[in-house]
Order: sequence, then C-alpha cells, then structure tokens
Amino acid sequence: MFQANPLRLYLACIRNTLEAAMCLQNFPCQEVERHNKPEVELKTSPELLLNPVLICRNEAEKCLIETSINSLRISLKVKQADELENILTKKFLRFLSMRAEAFQVLRRKPVQGYDISFLITNYHCEEMQKQKLIDFIIQFMEAKKEISELKISVNTRGRLVATEFLKQFM
Amino acid sequence: MAYLERSSPTLKETLLKIYRAEKPIEIDQHFYEFGSIQYHIKCSVLDTNIVYVSTSTLLETQGIVTSKEILSATYEVIKNIAVGVIDIVDPPRLGFQLTLKLHLDNIPRGKEAIKIITRISEIQAIILSSQLKEMLKRLNFQDDSQAMNNNNRPVRIVYHPSEPFYVFRQAEKITAVFPMNFKDNSDVVIAMSFFQELVEVGSQKEMGKAPQCSWSPVPPFQLRGEPVHDLTTNAGFVSFDITSRHVEGKRLDKTVWNLLNFYAYVKYHIKCTRGYIQRRMRKRMDSLVKQRLNNTRFEEESPQKENGACKYVKELVKVQKGKLMMQQRCKDMTRRVKISKFRIRINGCARFRFNQRWISIPKFSSKSSK
Repeated sequence: MFQANPLRLYLACIRNTLEAAMCLQNFPCQEVERHNKPEVELKTSPELLLNPVLICRNEAEKCLIETSINSLRISLKVKQADELENILTKKFLRFLSMRAEAFQVLRRKPVQGYDISFLITNYHCEEMQKQKLIDFIIQFMEAKKEISELKISVNTRGRLVATEFLKQFM
Repeated sequence: MAYLERSSPTLKETLLKIYRAEKPIEIDQHFYEFGSIQYHIKCSVLDTNIVYVSTSTLLETQGIVTSKEILSATYEVIKNIAVGVIDIVDPPRLGFQLTLKLHLDNIPRGKEAIKIITRISEIQAIILSSQLKEMLKRLNFQDDSQAMNNNNRPVRIVYHPSEPFYVFRQAEKITAVFPMNFKDNSDVVIAMSFFQELVEVGSQKEMGKAPQCSWSPVPPFQLRGEPVHDLTTNAGFVSFDITSRHVEGKRLDKTVWNLLNFYAYVKYHIKCTRGYIQRRMRKRMDSLVKQRLNNTRFEEESPQKENGACKYVKELVKVQKGKLMMQQRCKDMTRRVKISKFRIRINGCARFRFNQRWISIPKFSSKSSK
C-alpha cells in the first residue's frame, strides 16, 4: 500500500499535467505555405512552444512533456533494475514502437534518453476523447508491471528447464 | 548432435522408406545434420536388400585420448545392435569414418524392425558417446597418484566447431567445464539467468544426487595453458562435478549423453524463451490496440460510416432476430432519417452551403469535448 502511493502520486502528477497541456488547436506552419506540421517536433518558432515539464519519480523513472500550440510530445523512461529487465524493456517497447501505426499516437522512435515517446496532435484530440487518451498514456506507465511479469516468467521457465535437465542425471 | 534425441530423424526416415518400399528404389544421398555430422546412404536397384550407410563426424580430442579414430569397443557395440544385420565395411568409404553394410532381409518383421532401424539411426550418438564414456571410466578408475603423474591435464573435446569443452580429474570427482559463447547480447542475458537458476536448483536438497553445478566468469585455474581463443567467452564457464556415482552402470550412458548435449540444450532453451517473449509481447500489443480502438474513439462514430451510405441500406434491410434488436434498429433508422431530412439543399444556393451559420440546424450528434 505504501509502495503504491509514490506511484499513484507520480501518475496523478502526470495526469494533471497532461490535462493542462492537452489544449491543442490547429495551427498551419509559419515557415511553409499550406503545410501543417507538429510544432513540437520542428521547434523552429519559439513563440509556439511552451516550457517542457520534466516529472521525475526517481533517477531512473521520468516523464518529459513537451507542448506546443498544435502538438504534444510525451517521453517516458522506465526503470530497469538489471540486465534482463533492460533487454526485456528494450525489446517490448521497440516491438510497440515498430507497430506505431496501430496506436496512431505512438512515435516510431523514442526521444533520445527515453524508452518510448508519444506524439499527439490537434487532429488526434478532435478524433479521440481527451480523458480516454490520457488514460491510455497513463496505462503505458504500467509497462513496468508487464516487464516485471515477463521477467518472472522467464526466470520460472529457466528454473523448470534447469530442474528437468538435472533430473536426467538422477 | 542434431537433436536432443539419439536417433537421426533423416536417417531413420530414409531407412524405413527403403525397408517398406514395395518396388526396388535407387538411393544415393548425402545429408548433413546440425553441427559437423554427415551421412551417406546408398541403395542399389540390383541388390535391394543391401544398404550402405556411411557416417562421419568431427571427433577431436586432445589429452589422454588423442586418436581421431573410432574405438574397437564401439565397433562391437554397433554390431550388437542387430546381430546378422550389420556388417562393418573396412576400409570405410572415402571421406567417412565408418561404413556399415545393412542386410535388410535379416531384419525381423513387425515392430521389431522399427526398433532395430531406430537403433541403427543412433550410430552417431553411439560413436560420440563411446569416446567420452571410455574417458570418464579411465579417469574414474585412475588413482590420485596417477592423476598427479599426468599433471591433471585437462582433456579438450570438440564435437562441434567452436564449441569445445574440457574434462579433468580432481580429488574424488571429474569436472566438465563448458566455456559459453553467444553471438547476440540478449542471448547472453537469457543464458546468464538460466545458469543462475541452474546453480540454485543444483544446490537444493532434492537435487543432491545430480552433479554439482557451478558458474564462474573466469576459467578454472586447471585450464591455464589452454588456447586463449577457447577460453574467451561472453557468458562465463559452467562446470559440472561428476562423481563415481554418475559413471556407474546405466547412469554412465545418461551422464555422457547429457554432457554432450549441454550446448544444444542451452541453445534450444534460449530459442524457446525468445519465442515465448515474442508471443507475450504480441498478445499484450493486441490487447492495447483493442483497448485504444474501443475506448478512445467517440461513441457515435461507427466504423460503418467510413464505408459509405449503401452500408446503411444493407443494415436496414437485414432481418434482425429479437424484439430488442428490432427496437434498436428502429431508433437508429429514425435518427438517421431525421439527420438526412435537415440537410437542406437548394439548387443555385451552393455558395451559401459553406457558410451555414445563418441557418440554425438542430444538432443530433453532440461531441462532448471537456
């Protein structure tokens, strides 16, 4: 219960920040005529960018929220305790990123220094419900839980295989 | 060591095919199995009851036994698989270590035939096991003084290119050391977690009868002086301590087979683990995608809208079972008719269509944006 509280506070902070940041509107590109680009990716016009917010749970877990007038970028860093969690996290998040078109709001390549990134534009806000979108992103924070379960499964499999191998000698 | 089974599946299948063939068939086949094992099968139409099977393997040891040839005791074991069926051809076919002449007409009919053919398919396992068996027996019966005279030199065994392992005698036990190398970094990590579990399981009370297993990142000091490229690893060294209990009687066969197959076992486990991880990730991704599609879209938007109006007509025409579904359909139809009625189009007033603010249109579909 006590350990769940820091996580809940962390998620609540991210949720509140996203609710405030997800006020996007259509804004055509100022540089190129008849183009409409997510300003948070280009970063050519500083007047269209808001201050980025970095929410850190600890040194290894953090969330960067960068906002602009027509787009929002959210980058997550997941805690990895050991080598096995490290490769499982990399594999799992890379697996999702490579299939980003299925999620629409997922970025194919995470921002440098982070494990996974989302890019939400004003079009996504028009098509999708804001609260549900925030819930979906918050759910990704729980990727750590999925990875922990995967790690336990891998270790359990290893233990069973080791037991079977040694039983053959008996 | 193609599989963890002793018998070669391809050899078994080919011999059964020849044995069961109603008409004489001509076969002259070379095939290779995992690692460095090769076979040659020859069967002529002129003499259908005789089949020549040749086999060769990388059989290299350095240490006590330096011979690359098959031991004479092994020949006896092979002949005794089926007396009267197997003859050993001397000299063997060029390029092979062993050639057998099989008399198919001497094989008894029925289920016994399948058993004999299965045992014949195990010749590679017999050849590879025999040398290690002799070595373990010799080391086991060696006195400590003899071991000191031999300076406890480790025996290097290579049954697969780039996968050597070492066997040496210590006080009251024989140690088999496997240097572990993997190409992929994720394989290394999975293997390390497996070795950790192996060591933990091996130290339990229930596994007291199994050989003691240990892992170390550096080679044991007994391997000093061995080639550096063999001792350069990225996943450490796994050691098994074989006691006299493990080499007595029938257990010797099992112990030898398990040691010979250790590399294959670990690689198979890593492959299966990677497949399992992939399946889990795919399943989780599917659930996330479903959740996103179901929850984030606005409720009034149905995927059928994207396919055009004719789909509406088809949906209306379809006969629905059940009163409730009928009522639901009526409601939907009424709503759509109301929407279509209020799309006012006046000929010649196209320029006003884009600016409809001066016409107040009652909204039926409210998109709640909070």
